[in-house]
Amino acid sequence: MSAEETQTATLEKEEETQGTEKKEEALPIVRYRKVSKSFGENQVLKEVDFDLMPGERVAIIGPSGSGKTTLARLLMTLEKPTSGTIEVDGRQLWHKEVKGKLVEANEKHLHEVRGDIGMVFQHFNLFPHMTILRNLTEAPVKVLGLSKEEARERAMGMLEKVGLTDKAKAYPANLSGGQQQRVAIARALVMRPKVMLFDEPTSALDPETVGEVLDVIKEIAAEGEMAMMLITHEMSFARDVSDRVAFFDEGCIQEQGPPSKLFVQPESERLQSFLSRFNLGEENSQ
Amino acid sequence: MAWDWEFTINEVLPQLMEVVYITISATLVAYLVAMVWGLVLAFARRSQFRPLSVAAYWFVQFIRTTPPLVQLFFIFYVLPRYGIALTPFVAGVLGLGIHYSTFLSEVYRAGIESVPKGQWEAATALNFSPVQKWKTIILPQAIRPVIPVMGNYLIVMFKETPILSAITLVELLGKAQIIGSETFRYVEPITLVGIFFLIMSYGASLLFQRLEMRLDLSKK
Repeated sequence: MSAEETQTATLEKEEETQGTEKKEEALPIVRYRKVSKSFGENQVLKEVDFDLMPGERVAIIGPSGSGKTTLARLLMTLEKPTSGTIEVDGRQLWHKEVKGKLVEANEKHLHEVRGDIGMVFQHFNLFPHMTILRNLTEAPVKVLGLSKEEARERAMGMLEKVGLTDKAKAYPANLSGGQQQRVAIARALVMRPKVMLFDEPTSALDPETVGEVLDVIKEIAAEGEMAMMLITHEMSFARDVSDRVAFFDEGCIQEQGPPSKLFVQPESERLQSFLSRFNLGEENSQ
Repeated sequence: MAWDWEFTINEVLPQLMEVVYITISATLVAYLVAMVWGLVLAFARRSQFRPLSVAAYWFVQFIRTTPPLVQLFFIFYVLPRYGIALTPFVAGVLGLGIHYSTFLSEVYRAGIESVPKGQWEAATALNFSPVQKWKTIILPQAIRPVIPVMGNYLIVMFKETPILSAITLVELLGKAQIIGSETFRYVEPITLVGIFFLIMSYGASLLFQRLEMRLDLSKK
């Protein structure tokens, strides 16, 4: 298949899978094709096809255990798909092409492709033995090869963005959960990924600190430079920041579309019953 | 027999001082061997390559369950038959070092397992290479909680150095014995050796306590 044909095929596929998405000429930055994942007997993802366009912000909602988190973890290479392929910016992630055949990728290949992806975890996972500043500069220096000064500058700029410049010399243990998560967001951002994954970034937070973290994410989303995959249980947040919402249940995308449609007129019964658990009715009528 | 101060200060002390450095350097070098080889064993145990991990497991089991003295005799008296002749010092630090490496490898293993999974995942997400992951993220966190245990092994090994006299390395106790057999006075040399071990062990434990406190993250 020539490159042109591939592109045409891709575009057709896009229209198929995301008909409601505004048409863009660019190719998807992330592409899941028939991706399945099983843990023993338990199949968490069932032949998922999913695309993410450059700069697109997709909220992924659904009940716990529906496979949302696994979807992100496969892209971050924390988990290996049982079958199917994932492409990042036109390159195979878990596979390598050798003589026209796809073979399993080695760590070197993963290292090359993974650089485009960043992730924010539910439990922050800051490095407890490093200061906040060092949490932010360590990877830029060691992985990206930045000089210490460059990394420091970039890190301080990012800390300013999340409003924590005064904590540069503190250790993670001295920060509140919300502050830690803001640092974790900054730490992922200094790597300048093309795709950012947020895996339930506010689920482990005290209710009073959820807002500050969501505000930071909203601010980043508003810049619109990176593609974002937001796995969240905060429905009003999902509605406010996303271009598209995908509803996950039982290992598949059951329904997807722009938030204005998905939250207002959910088609499937499953989504209707899922949404009925959240107090969105009032806001929806606006 | 009364304690003879003159004998103690003029004869025993200077003679013991001559060999203090042997006890101390044997301890430090052997501990270095134990730390490095222990880490190698810990990594081998974790290896995905089954034969390596199984080999490491049996190596650890075998060395741990046989007396260090037997191992020392083997290195010093048996290996020369196969063309490997080592000086008493080298044989001694290798023997002690390898023996204690098996204990330290288990200590490392416990430390490594205590590092939460999220730390590995964050390190992957930031695209650290496997070597960088170990060096900057995992090991610094794995070693911290096991520092007291590691210090304990240093002291245990230090106290074990007198067995090196069995392979003709004249260290403190060996020297004391020589003084005793020459002068027929054992009280002073043996007592001094005891006091020396007490002071050194206590000093080392204080050092480790300070190190532990300095690295304690909860106090930062």
